[in-house]
Amino acid sequence: MPNIVEIAVANDQFSTLVTAVTAAGLVDVLQSPGPFTVFAPTDAAFAKLPPGTITTLVQNIPQLARILTYHVVPGKFTQADLSHLSSIDSVEGSPITIDCTEAFEVKNATVIMADIEADNGIIHVIDNVILMG
Amino acid sequence: MTTLTKNTILPPSTHAFADVIHRLEAGGSMLPDTPENLMQIIGIYKAYAVPMDFYWRDLLYIAERVFLNPLRFFKYFLPQEYLDFPNHYAGETADLRIWRGEASAHPELLEFIEKGNTTKMPKLFHHLWHDRINMEFAEACMQAMLWHGRDMGMGKFDAYLDTEEYKANADKAIRAYFKGNPPMLALYKLFPDLFLEQVKELSYYSNLGLFWEVMAPVFFEMSDIYDEGGFKGVPDAMNFLVNGIFAIAGRPIYHHVYIGDECFEIIPKSKGFTWLYEAALPYVEAVFYRTAPFRGTKSYNAQAKQVPEEQKDFHYGILYADVFPVGTAGIPPTLLMDDMLHFLPPYLIEYYQKHCRGEDDMLVQLGITFQRSMYNVTSAVIQALRTALLYPLDDPNPRHLAKNRQFFEAQMDRFLRPEARLKDIQTDRYR
Repeated sequence: MPNIVEIAVANDQFSTLVTAVTAAGLVDVLQSPGPFTVFAPTDAAFAKLPPGTITTLVQNIPQLARILTYHVVPGKFTQADLSHLSSIDSVEGSPITIDCTEAFEVKNATVIMADIEADNGIIHVIDNVILMG
Repeated sequence: MTTLTKNTILPPSTHAFADVIHRLEAGGSMLPDTPENLMQIIGIYKAYAVPMDFYWRDLLYIAERVFLNPLRFFKYFLPQEYLDFPNHYAGETADLRIWRGEASAHPELLEFIEKGNTTKMPKLFHHLWHDRINMEFAEACMQAMLWHGRDMGMGKFDAYLDTEEYKANADKAIRAYFKGNPPMLALYKLFPDLFLEQVKELSYYSNLGLFWEVMAPVFFEMSDIYDEGGFKGVPDAMNFLVNGIFAIAGRPIYHHVYIGDECFEIIPKSKGFTWLYEAALPYVEAVFYRTAPFRGTKSYNAQAKQVPEEQKDFHYGILYADVFPVGTAGIPPTLLMDDMLHFLPPYLIEYYQKHCRGEDDMLVQLGITFQRSMYNVTSAVIQALRTALLYPLDDPNPRHLAKNRQFFEAQMDRFLRPEARLKDIQTDRYR
């Protein structure tokens, strides 16, 4: 089975995410055995960020890495697992709120494709970049 | 004026500030959208940005160079190097160009440093004659951030100051700074925390300096855009701030100290601390909302119970301040009002001359304008948080809109206490 990074690279709606993960030097981490649960924003999600945000983050790699690690949770959690929880701690350290009452929502993002199995974890595709706080 | 569209999905709010909430939901500011308000807030941003250009440079100078000097007599005497220091967000060399002007110190600031309100004379005489920028105000803001510290915003800055890693970094810098100074080294051995606390304070100098390094070019640019006729109303001015907040959100917050030729990274950039979480949000909470009770308006008497026991209940920031006694004893913002007085744009001076006591109470009038302008900045912060953590204002999902409403209402709850000036700034009779 392909790992998390291989799935993202193979899918052309994750090109911004792949670029960001590469710039932040997180490729090796996401290829390690893990397992991880990754909330993966699509290119359209990154495009919603106001201009300048990405420019500043790409200039400052540790800060970019921090935002990206907020999208990663240690352990493998499917939609069914997460539906019992109200929040879960990210690798960054801050909690991500989960709401499965109507749709599968994490923070202010909606999961548009859940439970993509990878060799070292699971991917949920989201329609917004999520931010701590 | 900018036209705002009201949401028709949710029933009207029943909050005491329902009008303001509906305005926020339509993409507006807490400050009503009138041409007069726009003129006032932009004028005062300009007047604030010039002293702020001095504040951030001097804060960084103290954090990076003055460091633990036990006799800091000359800490407000900025060396040329720090006046020339290129702002990271202005000029040709900018990381991200916010202000189209130059990156070194603002020309009006340089002129004031040279001549002050009197005439050209050595810096020391300007200082002794108190013909200078009131840098104590910037330090008071820094102290508010230091003292309120831990539980503000969502940042991790203050918690890091208590880690072993930070202590080890600070220790290296302290030893290097006092190298060849046995009495100070002996004192450090006896009371290590005495110096560590000083270094923590200096880290906050750096934090606030890096915060204001961004705000100064933002305000300069807003003034230029206004002069070019670029803003149609208050919401435009607020949205410019919202975009600025997002653009710079990821800028690193750090504390570097230069001793001789060596740089000591007390808080390295690699910790991943960001402008938004570790500087901007704690600043807004500490300075706009909380600060400390003015010595001239509240009694610190423990039996009188005028001052709250819990820091979270402090409400002495600019959003609550009574500006009327500005210029009298025991009112700290006077320092800032006096700084801004030197750099008012002509249209604002003309405006004040036509109202109240004209020239005589200009300090109070500009103080109230400043309060309006900070309500607009706070609105930008509230809208930015809503954008970052919640939903777009035109989200079709009523459940999402209800969450936005809940957030706005919770923010407005903080202005329900009688000291808050939100109600006052809704009319132009408050001046």
